[in-house]
Amino acid sequence: MIAEKHLNWLISAVLLAVPVAAWLAGEVYTVTLATRVAVLALAGVGLNLALGSGGLVSLGHAAFFGAGGYAMGILASHAQSYQPLMEWPFLIEGTKSMPVIWLVAIASGAISALAIGVLSLRTSGVYFIMITLAFGQMFYYFAISWPAYGGEDGLSIYVRNGFPGLDTLQPIQFFALCYALLIVALVLCARINASPFGLALNAVRQSAQRVETVGLSPLRLRLTAFVLSGAITALAGALFADLNRFVSPTMFSWQTSGEIMVFVILGGVGRLYGPVIGAAVFIMLEHWLGGVSEYWQLFLGVLLLGVVLFARGGLIGVFARRRVGHG
Amino acid sequence: MADPVLELKDVCKSFGALKASDHVSLDLRAGEIHALIGPNGAGKSTLIAQIAGSLAPDSGSIHFDGQDVTHLGPSARARLGLARSFQISAVVPGFTVAQNILLAVQARAGRSYTMWSKADDMASDQVARWADMVGLSDRLGAAASDIAHGERRRLEIAMALAMRPKAFVLDEPMAGMGTEGVSAMTSLLDPLRLQAPILLVEHDMQAVFALADRVSVLVYGRIIATGTVAQIRRDPLVRQAYLGDEA
Repeated sequence: MIAEKHLNWLISAVLLAVPVAAWLAGEVYTVTLATRVAVLALAGVGLNLALGSGGLVSLGHAAFFGAGGYAMGILASHAQSYQPLMEWPFLIEGTKSMPVIWLVAIASGAISALAIGVLSLRTSGVYFIMITLAFGQMFYYFAISWPAYGGEDGLSIYVRNGFPGLDTLQPIQFFALCYALLIVALVLCARINASPFGLALNAVRQSAQRVETVGLSPLRLRLTAFVLSGAITALAGALFADLNRFVSPTMFSWQTSGEIMVFVILGGVGRLYGPVIGAAVFIMLEHWLGGVSEYWQLFLGVLLLGVVLFARGGLIGVFARRRVGHG
Repeated sequence: MADPVLELKDVCKSFGALKASDHVSLDLRAGEIHALIGPNGAGKSTLIAQIAGSLAPDSGSIHFDGQDVTHLGPSARARLGLARSFQISAVVPGFTVAQNILLAVQARAGRSYTMWSKADDMASDQVARWADMVGLSDRLGAAASDIAHGERRRLEIAMALAMRPKAFVLDEPMAGMGTEGVSAMTSLLDPLRLQAPILLVEHDMQAVFALADRVSVLVYGRIIATGTVAQIRRDPLVRQAYLGDEA
């Protein structure tokens, strides 16, 4: 057993060291795998804010992941075809600039989460799961039936978007960007969890009635967390699209929502680094076992079952104790 | 005389054919402890739920601090200064004693949406003060789920105090306590009326008679009598309906 803080440092260091070593050894594919881990972990970090801290079991986070992906896809496709998004009443052109794309992705994730949250946070339990799932599927079918942006076939972006001062086509440089954003999101979540808002949100998860009694609105607290959560997951979506240089409706599918939730549950619900270790294990299993058998998810299922049954704190919980109380 | 802090006028609430609140009029004045007593099933909990805002009355009005709050929800009423405790202790089980009090302190300070500063730093002196008032100073670090029943009740009082309320509504704060616990809680509640008046729902008659300035008796959803302790003890209707030999 080691302190959770030290375990977190260790995970951060390994996730940085492995791709750097692989890059020095010329193993580009490993760098790409590590980038996938960082990006999917970021999506999980977003979900963990709603699921772990707020207790909101959302099976619709693919909606935000996809919203971020399509924000990137739409802006970049207009930039590569030199067609403005709109000319009237004012001109909006496409862009290949990552910072701009990230901001648009974050905004579209936040707005989608606000709309979905307002409508679904009045329910709880299994109804909340079903409503978020339904919204996710709505986005999915909308993307399929929208021919302007590829419909079912999706959108290909031929050149990766740019970041000032970096060559993003260099795998290690793109990894550095994704890793930096993941760390920023983790620091942000750590601060939020330790803040007055984090305390109130944690209290809502345990006893909404108690929170109401001190004069706070559980709905407003949950909605705030849900919007932040959606924004972070959308940023991950934009990075995922850039990693693959491809966007498709699959990003919106309920399987995607399920995978993001698997990262969180596998690593440890409500544990800061849960989604990081969860995404890492998922990608490693997919890579190694996927080469052995196309039924590799059977092993994932067994692992997940073991974690759910025997390790309530997920993989993080197996290695690190949790302190009493909040934070 | 000043307006009452809390005033119920002709509040009615029915569940099907059952009249849980039948034209209830009741007030709570500054500086008093007003006890609400009645047999099981008299509609005390239904009335408390309507006062707190978790249940809407069918008709009638509820005024609090000079404002019509009949249609406000529980969190809005709490923000106006109505602090309540529950029949079954409602504290955040996974939090420490200090964190529970902090939740109320930061809600009162309007800081519950602050995301960048640390929660623990902001109000430890206030947390210590409220804990001290209810005698939980040496239990600040204990998990709320681990402390004794009587301590949990006192924690609820500390959280109510931290809201600096204009009125307390306490639903059976002595429930499940031994004689010693009841007398400790009695001496804790006694001076509280000077901070804000208390509407006290309680089954323990010794405590009620020791604390209450006025008593209202609720039977089958109706207030059958309101008066001082002495008046209520003499009232033949009350003796017949509720008190029996105990008075």
